[in-house]
Amino acid sequence: MDDREPDTLPFGRRRRTAASALVAILVAFVLGVLFNAPAMKKTAMDLPFGGQRSFRLALVSPAAAVSHWVFLDRPAQFAAAVLGKPDPGPVPVEVVVLSPRPTSQPTASGRPRAKPEDKPLPKPRAGHPMRLYIAGDSMAGIPGMALVNLSRDTHLIRPLLDYRISSGLVRPDSFNWPVQLQRQVKAFDPGAAVVMWGANDNQGMQTSSGKVYEFGSGGWEKEYRKRIGDAIAILFGGGVRRIYWVGQPVMPESIYDRKIRVMNDIFRSEASKHPGVQYIDAYEVLSDGGGYSQYLRDEKGKMQQVREADGEHLTYAGGMRLAKVVMAAIKADWFGDKTPGAGSASPSPKASAKATPAP
Amino acid sequence: MLFPTITFAVFFLLVFVGNWLLMPRPRLWKPFILLASCVFYGWWEWRFVLLLALSAVANQLFAKAIERAATAAAGKWLLAAAVAVNLGVLGWFKYYGFFVTSVADFLAVFHLNADLPLLRILLPVGISFLTFRVLSYVIDVYRGKLHTSSLLDFAVYVAFFPYIMAGPIARAGEFLPQLAGPRDPRRVDTSRAFFLIFAGLAKKMLLADYLATHIVNGVFTTPGQYTSLETLLGIVGYSVQIYCDFSAYADIAIGISLLLGFELPENFNAPYTAISVQDFWRRWHMTLSRWLRDYLYIPLGGNRKGPTRTSVNIMITMVLGGLWHGAGWPFIFWGLLHGSAQVVEHRRLDIRKLRVQRRLRPADGRAAGAPPGPPEIDLRPWGGGVWPRIGVFVFVTFAWVFFRSATFGAALSVLAQLFRGWGSIGAAVTPVLLLVIAVGIGVQYVPRSLYERVEAGFSVLNPLVQGGLLAVGFMLLDVLGPTGPASFLYFRF
Repeated sequence: MDDREPDTLPFGRRRRTAASALVAILVAFVLGVLFNAPAMKKTAMDLPFGGQRSFRLALVSPAAAVSHWVFLDRPAQFAAAVLGKPDPGPVPVEVVVLSPRPTSQPTASGRPRAKPEDKPLPKPRAGHPMRLYIAGDSMAGIPGMALVNLSRDTHLIRPLLDYRISSGLVRPDSFNWPVQLQRQVKAFDPGAAVVMWGANDNQGMQTSSGKVYEFGSGGWEKEYRKRIGDAIAILFGGGVRRIYWVGQPVMPESIYDRKIRVMNDIFRSEASKHPGVQYIDAYEVLSDGGGYSQYLRDEKGKMQQVREADGEHLTYAGGMRLAKVVMAAIKADWFGDKTPGAGSASPSPKASAKATPAP
Repeated sequence: MLFPTITFAVFFLLVFVGNWLLMPRPRLWKPFILLASCVFYGWWEWRFVLLLALSAVANQLFAKAIERAATAAAGKWLLAAAVAVNLGVLGWFKYYGFFVTSVADFLAVFHLNADLPLLRILLPVGISFLTFRVLSYVIDVYRGKLHTSSLLDFAVYVAFFPYIMAGPIARAGEFLPQLAGPRDPRRVDTSRAFFLIFAGLAKKMLLADYLATHIVNGVFTTPGQYTSLETLLGIVGYSVQIYCDFSAYADIAIGISLLLGFELPENFNAPYTAISVQDFWRRWHMTLSRWLRDYLYIPLGGNRKGPTRTSVNIMITMVLGGLWHGAGWPFIFWGLLHGSAQVVEHRRLDIRKLRVQRRLRPADGRAAGAPPGPPEIDLRPWGGGVWPRIGVFVFVTFAWVFFRSATFGAALSVLAQLFRGWGSIGAAVTPVLLLVIAVGIGVQYVPRSLYERVEAGFSVLNPLVQGGLLAVGFMLLDVLGPTGPASFLYFRF
């Protein structure tokens, strides 16, 4: 007696053979790759420079070429255009870094002076809040949200949070922050900006000439400093009066942490070179005596988990800890000492150029 | 490895071919699928594969020892040890930080500064699911419902990659018998599998991820930035998001398993159509509900020891169910809310039964003119129709606020925002948002027969056509969905 299950199921649904399923899967896979090849190529290009990126590009580029040749990239492009979504491809080959807009005080060389206007800061008041632009990578997300909440509490600061996952200053081909900054300062007209980059910048960087510098090399540092200067100039050129440059916090993994400290040193020294730019030492704020800890005590001595399970990103408590320090710096500049809560930053609201001790 | 990625597509293609080529030879197939599962899991963090191996070996030893135990008492002690070890491991990875900070806070109330060691512990993905899976095996062996299997079979059950990250919690008794013989390559339920995979990806990419990025994350993190209407839609949006996200993973897991020849239990059955909180739990995360019922609620006494014990048992079960989801007081409170609602519903039914019994008491124990047979009692606590459904949805959605929030303060901030800004609509309220929420709830009211008709229609198509339709569907998902795959919510549980 055949005790196998029936071949037909509800409404005449048929079971098929594994071979039939394989055919369907293969067709779906091949066609799916061809349909989505430009997006896959963009994803591969966004990888850090190196062997994995080259390997992925070697696999995907022929598919993208075939897809284009047989017009199979068009349906996705058409659908994206209809929906108003940005076209994933073709990807720009060269790096595009916009020149900063001229400030009101150009230098003799014509290069924009990375310096805010010298007028006194306007005091925010009801109906005329100070506009605060918060930008950065994924590490800026949670502290940015906490800062938004603190800003709302003042009723005198209107915040705009603009953080982009997997972004930074070294890969404008992946996400072009200079362009984004220009757009945002034009649209939002901020008085102050809080920026936090670096978590994804621990990778090679390609200059506009096409040369790729390894992380930490002399060429890399020079180019990175230039891009920081460009970002500062764009913000000041757009009317921003104060920039709060937030460094990256201590990291659990030693190699990554070493790179973070290299970048923090650069941020700190660039901030000290530019009047109107204040460095916020997140490394110190979120470390336990200079070392890494997933938990820290708050000002009341209560233990708080400050890092997410990945060990790197901040929990809301960690983000708030950092945001309070940033807000203290903002209030000191814009409100003097009279605004309620101005001195509430804790612990150790250090917005300084002090060297961070190595963990 | 995430499901909606090209990496997984390539991985699955290779596993699918290997699976059916080796299926006739179980001695080759089992190591193959075990290796594939380890690669899948190790892709996340290779060290966790060791945890899987240890869990498989330790629980197999416990199960064998229980089966061979000379006395019932010895078996009981061995079972207790197995439960303690498994819950200990779970507690170490998942609750250590919560426990230590809670103890420190408690001592601080008495001005005692306890310098307890806090460690950075990486949470293995899906450890809660793993713990419940292996416990089902050990407990069923203890109960005599299941014989121990070979270590290899058990290891395949422990590590089977489709469900390893976020369920469904397939019990040993449901899965291990399927390893007894090779699956038949001529009878694969391909259309249902493809439908589930596609529907899962659509729910995840089009609905859940959109809601998360468009409104939910913002409302729950910076509620002050949103109007009351936006906050309300953000809260409702989270209800839809968590359903679409979690059920999507279950759908994809079940679909992938079907393509490999295995059947997994259903995990969701239109939960937002529930007419009571009890009914909700029969439809939401069904494998967890059944697990908690069979391995916790019933052993506690269930409803056999009077109304008070029933209420206590419900509360214990739901609070532990809340704690299972995460280490935090809001999760416990969420469990308390659901437990309380079910206690109320039980009491309501008890009172209804009592009234019927009282009516039947006169004369011969039956009301005059009553039909023969047991009296019919409406076992729906709130009756049927629209209002109970709306009421249950409102309650469940309210409870999700605590589930989603990191702290009570954060949850209360979100709820308070509901009453603060009704002056304007808010920029986040868009036709697309309303449509996504409506679709997320509406799909649960579509009769199941309609889905089955679509599956049946798809099943008779030529496989080339099936593949072409799937490719077009995936392309549209890619265009319509957000950039980059987002992790599934239930991975963290």
